[in-house]
Amino acid sequence: MIQINELTKVYKLTKKQMMEKKTKKNMVKAVDKLSLTARPGEIYGLLGPNGAGKTTALRCIASLLKPTQGNIKVKGYDTVEDSQSVRKTIGFLTNEIKLDPQFSPRYMFGFFGRLHGLDERVIEERREELFDYFGIKDFQDKKIEELSSGMKQKASLAVSLVHNPEVIIFDEPTSGLDIITARNVTDYLKHLRDEGRTVIISTHIMTEAEKLCDRIGIIINGVLVLEGTLTEILDRTNTKDLEDAFFELYKIHNKEEE
Amino acid sequence: MKGTKNIVKKELTRVFTDKKLVINLFVLPGVLIMVMYSIMGSLISKMETDIKTHIPTIYIQNAPEDLDYIIDAVDFEGNITYISSKDSTTHIKDGILKGDIDLLVIFDEGFIETIRSYKDVGDPIPEVRTYYNPSEDYSNAAKGNFTASVLHAYQQSLLAERLGNIEQLQVFYIDRDPEAGIIVDESKANGKFLSMLLPFLINIMLFQGAMGLGMDAITGEKERGTLASMLLSPIKRSEIVFGKLISLGILTSLSAVIYTVSVVVGIQRLADGAMGAMTNIQFTPVQIVQLFVMLIVLVYLYVSMVSIVAVYARTQKEAGTYVTPLYILVMLGCIMTMFSTGGVKELKYYAIPIYNGAIALQDLLVGELTMVKFGVTVGSLAIVAFLITTLITKAFNSERVMFNA
Repeated sequence: MIQINELTKVYKLTKKQMMEKKTKKNMVKAVDKLSLTARPGEIYGLLGPNGAGKTTALRCIASLLKPTQGNIKVKGYDTVEDSQSVRKTIGFLTNEIKLDPQFSPRYMFGFFGRLHGLDERVIEERREELFDYFGIKDFQDKKIEELSSGMKQKASLAVSLVHNPEVIIFDEPTSGLDIITARNVTDYLKHLRDEGRTVIISTHIMTEAEKLCDRIGIIINGVLVLEGTLTEILDRTNTKDLEDAFFELYKIHNKEEE
Repeated sequence: MKGTKNIVKKELTRVFTDKKLVINLFVLPGVLIMVMYSIMGSLISKMETDIKTHIPTIYIQNAPEDLDYIIDAVDFEGNITYISSKDSTTHIKDGILKGDIDLLVIFDEGFIETIRSYKDVGDPIPEVRTYYNPSEDYSNAAKGNFTASVLHAYQQSLLAERLGNIEQLQVFYIDRDPEAGIIVDESKANGKFLSMLLPFLINIMLFQGAMGLGMDAITGEKERGTLASMLLSPIKRSEIVFGKLISLGILTSLSAVIYTVSVVVGIQRLADGAMGAMTNIQFTPVQIVQLFVMLIVLVYLYVSMVSIVAVYARTQKEAGTYVTPLYILVMLGCIMTMFSTGGVKELKYYAIPIYNGAIALQDLLVGELTMVKFGVTVGSLAIVAFLITTLITKAFNSERVMFNA
């Protein structure tokens, strides 16, 4: 279970960043009083445009960033007070966090397994299972730098799951993947949900969110503007699909911000 | 500390499974240093042989009749042309300037007559003038050899002729056997030579090693996004820091040993045996332990200095810029020991980080490092390194430093 309570994250900008963003403010609020709960046995989708604060929110859940205000509990562990327990519990995947290109997927899998305190037998069993499922065995001994982006993503995915985490946090998990691999990934997420894991993903692919997520939270300019099941969101916005609902909300809330 | 062990293992595997990196880091610099010094040594030796075997072209004006006899007697070899006082010397001087002619020797007119007519103080004394080009090696050598062998012998012969017994001029001897008067501790003398060179080399090599490796292991990983994956694992940040520092320390020590051995072997070849006696240096077990501990602490300090820069830098390029002043600081600290008189230094100097590493190594090599000085040096270096490590750990916990957040 993930419980986010009034999460606010403010970044202090350097002069260079202020110039790049063409702003005179030296603070930027990436996430503003975000509260949500992702339960075991469900896939929660965070939906939003680029720069909406999705990645920041997920990084806060993963204990990589500290909330400026509010708190987050992952399986009851506070992300600030007990970050090590949080990291033990979660499997985190994002495009910005990569595997060392000089090593093979097999080596990296073993390395992170050992960092998670797993013994060699368990690592080997998990490797068999995950490498088989994602079709990594054919290139498991090749250097990561020699792999295609899809292969790299598969390897990262498997490595993030080495310790069989109870909470899965994936930031745009199908980004850059071909349709077959993407389906493979979404199927596995469903499998994890069916096993009773808590899954939270961020995406801007509307169809993926419609098909995959049990509940969806739409985040615009750091604010959670609407949350619910697909049916609830469509009812509340009086639209026919998620894309229309998203645009409707974006028009309203982006205007407010301006 | 299981996390630390795993990270050390991974870092060492990363380097030692990469053939190109191993060649670039360990093999190539070592070989290049040795080859460079060997080539320099062989070129210098060739140059010396060339100068020695060169037969100089010499012009002698107004040569006394018996000069030929002296030249033969001292076995002086040269293409000698005798000219009279009527001949112009302008073209000869031009030839010396261009390097075509090596030496012009001009005896005063009536040279031998003036000498033989000398009776008392105040009587005229003739002169021999030599013209040569000090920027030309052949000319320089020709001047030196002609003066030392021919003119000196000629002077002695004329003095003997004038006085009858030249030994009358000798009232006492100074050190007829110079070797017998030398009282020296061989080990200390050999160490003295090395103590000027090695502290500088060791410190510079250690820092260079740490610099090359630290940038990639920390800033490089930050840039590639691979460090973040480690930050996500359920281990303490201090374990990651120690994993990085220990692996860098091992690799730095290894590269420093290779570089230092290459430099020493190379210089030995360059000096053509001048450092041959170095092997006579005997270290006591205590000195060996002192040397080992000092090197470990120095590696720890330099690795932590490079790492703190590498952690704060956003890119490897930025890290390179930041680390340069530190490199200059280390060089400065070590250069100061190369030009010191080596007298006993006050204890307070052994508390100045970097400089103390160099002077303590210098003392160690001449067998003058006391346990108190050793303790102050090691303690001061370790404290600074530990403080920097604390800062690195703090930086690893900072989202601003790690994620530019």
